[in-house]
Amino acid sequence: MSALTQDTLSPAPASPIDKPSAGRAIKDKLATVAVWTAFGIAIIPLVWILYTVVDRGANLLFDPHWWTNSQRGIVARVAGGGAYHAIIGTLLQAAVTAIIAVPIAVFTAIYLVEYGRGKLARTVSFMVDILTGIPSIVAALFIYAVWVTTFGLERVGFAVCLALVLLMIPVVVRSTEEMLKLVPNELREASYALGVPKWKTIFKIVLPTSFSGIVTGVLLGLARIMGETAPLLILGPYSKSINTDLFGGFMAALPTMINQDRVESYDPALNRVWAAALTLIVLVMVLNIAGRVIARRSKVSR
Amino acid sequence: MKLSKHVALTSVALAGALALTACGSDDNSTGSSGSDETGTSVSGTLNGEGSSAQKNAIEEVISTFGDNNPDATVNYNPTGSGDGVKNFIAKQVDFAGSDSALKTEAVDGVVEADAAAERCGGNPAWNLPLVAGPIAIAYNLPGVEGLTLTPEVASEIFLGEIKTWNDPKIAAINEGVTLPSTKISVFFRSDESGTTENFQKYLSGSAPKAWTAEPSKVWPGKVGEGRAKSDGVAQGVKSVEGGITYAEWSYATSNDLGVAKIDNGAGAVELTGESAGAALTAAEVAGEGNDLKLKLDYATQTAGTYPIVLVTYEIVCSKGLDADKTTLLKSFLKHFASADTQSGLQEAGYAPLPAEIQTKVNTAIDAIS
Repeated sequence: MSALTQDTLSPAPASPIDKPSAGRAIKDKLATVAVWTAFGIAIIPLVWILYTVVDRGANLLFDPHWWTNSQRGIVARVAGGGAYHAIIGTLLQAAVTAIIAVPIAVFTAIYLVEYGRGKLARTVSFMVDILTGIPSIVAALFIYAVWVTTFGLERVGFAVCLALVLLMIPVVVRSTEEMLKLVPNELREASYALGVPKWKTIFKIVLPTSFSGIVTGVLLGLARIMGETAPLLILGPYSKSINTDLFGGFMAALPTMINQDRVESYDPALNRVWAAALTLIVLVMVLNIAGRVIARRSKVSR
Repeated sequence: MKLSKHVALTSVALAGALALTACGSDDNSTGSSGSDETGTSVSGTLNGEGSSAQKNAIEEVISTFGDNNPDATVNYNPTGSGDGVKNFIAKQVDFAGSDSALKTEAVDGVVEADAAAERCGGNPAWNLPLVAGPIAIAYNLPGVEGLTLTPEVASEIFLGEIKTWNDPKIAAINEGVTLPSTKISVFFRSDESGTTENFQKYLSGSAPKAWTAEPSKVWPGKVGEGRAKSDGVAQGVKSVEGGITYAEWSYATSNDLGVAKIDNGAGAVELTGESAGAALTAAEVAGEGNDLKLKLDYATQTAGTYPIVLVTYEIVCSKGLDADKTTLLKSFLKHFASADTQSGLQEAGYAPLPAEIQTKVNTAIDAIS
């Protein structure tokens, strides 16, 4: 002990940390250059895509009709109409997906963190991992097999939601799990010490503490599923008219709106494709920003 | 406190979404179109799916139909003829659009026509020809206009046996045209396509010795470059001098490509709505009764007939849909087959149905119950 204190008190000799050797300095510079280059390469496609989409699609977004009108009666060679039908379709499907997926996912996460021990928990966790790896087309085909082939129902917006639920659950389970694990154990123990039962501890202490994190996770999950195209191609045929009925009729969504005129040769249709792509990016971006704002507003206070 | 803040945020978002729901509009009319003059307007929703070759034609028709019937919605998804027929049989859509009539022979143990009849409650499904799309042989040769091709020469070009534009065989049928020595670059559809099948049907029907491959949706040629979709091949030709491809007329004109005249033996015929429509007049009806499956005469030698035409059908139940849908379907098809609508299709690169076929189609539509 005394030797240690003396060591720290005595004037420090010129340590190698203060003046790194030339070799280390070079390695340091090399690593810095490599990291920045990798960052630069990664940013190129992002900037490129954003630039192209904004460049080609932005002008239509300033037209108020874009946000209030559908494409009903608009043909490929004519300019006009809007994306309202697709925006509302995407938002509705995302909302219903969230309503179904979030409770399931959050309760699964609570089980895994607070209750799950042993074989069952390991199995559930493993299954969530598998679900994470399921390609969206497989989820869509599974729902098609159940909804259309087995039950003989028509392809409607709700079937799309079911497929999206499969894709959203694992994302939200994983993010919620991480958030619940971040809640300090001392809080739980303090609650137990006051005689609060476990379920009440979870709902009154653990969930409120991690609330902002869970919301962020949900919003990020939503942002991910809003751009999913495979379930829409298989289960959600496009319509040019507004349809807000999830259980009847074709329902438009932004990805199918993009797909519909993707191979068109007329410029007005192509302009709308770019504008729809930009609209989708903007929607997803708004959700992402909302997620970050909520996370920043109310951080888990330690 | 924190929770209530979030609740407030959420309710604001929800209210916003609801407000958004309320303010959307399906009305894109320019104000000039009034209500239907020819009869009372219908309402309801009709869903169709199928051939992408008729996408722009049916969208025009849906647009004008919607102007006359603001309460009726017709949807059409251009997912391809095969998917359209499958989804029609699976009762997912009310009608199918297809490049080829329902097959009466078994494919993989399923006879399409029988399966469709089962879907219609035991009543036969009818093939109604409603869209005629000429296929253009489109080329990119600056300075060369009005190139003429015969089926034999076209076959040899697409097979890669003729390699340059100033080949004596091309020169022989293009007197007075200065042909460059540019290399010929063939572009074909890499995806399965009714256009590919119909173009091959023309080549094998009019030049059976030069084109020996069995027509199918897959391009059998060994030379050239494959591109996806009509737009892909048209863009390909546009980007390469000396390029040639086959595509729906509208793709050739919208990309400013040259369109070859076709000489089947009775002189070079330019592609116009009229000359393509003439090919349909010459076609014979191969179906029975109101099933208007057409058999085109690709080798036709009638003057003024452009022979490379793709007919797309609407496949509908002759009986068996519920009453509301039947009314809507009949009203829509009537509008589709009317002379005004058909002549309007020329603007979108299609050929109007000749009057004779229009009459037959109208008779069939009246017989749907």
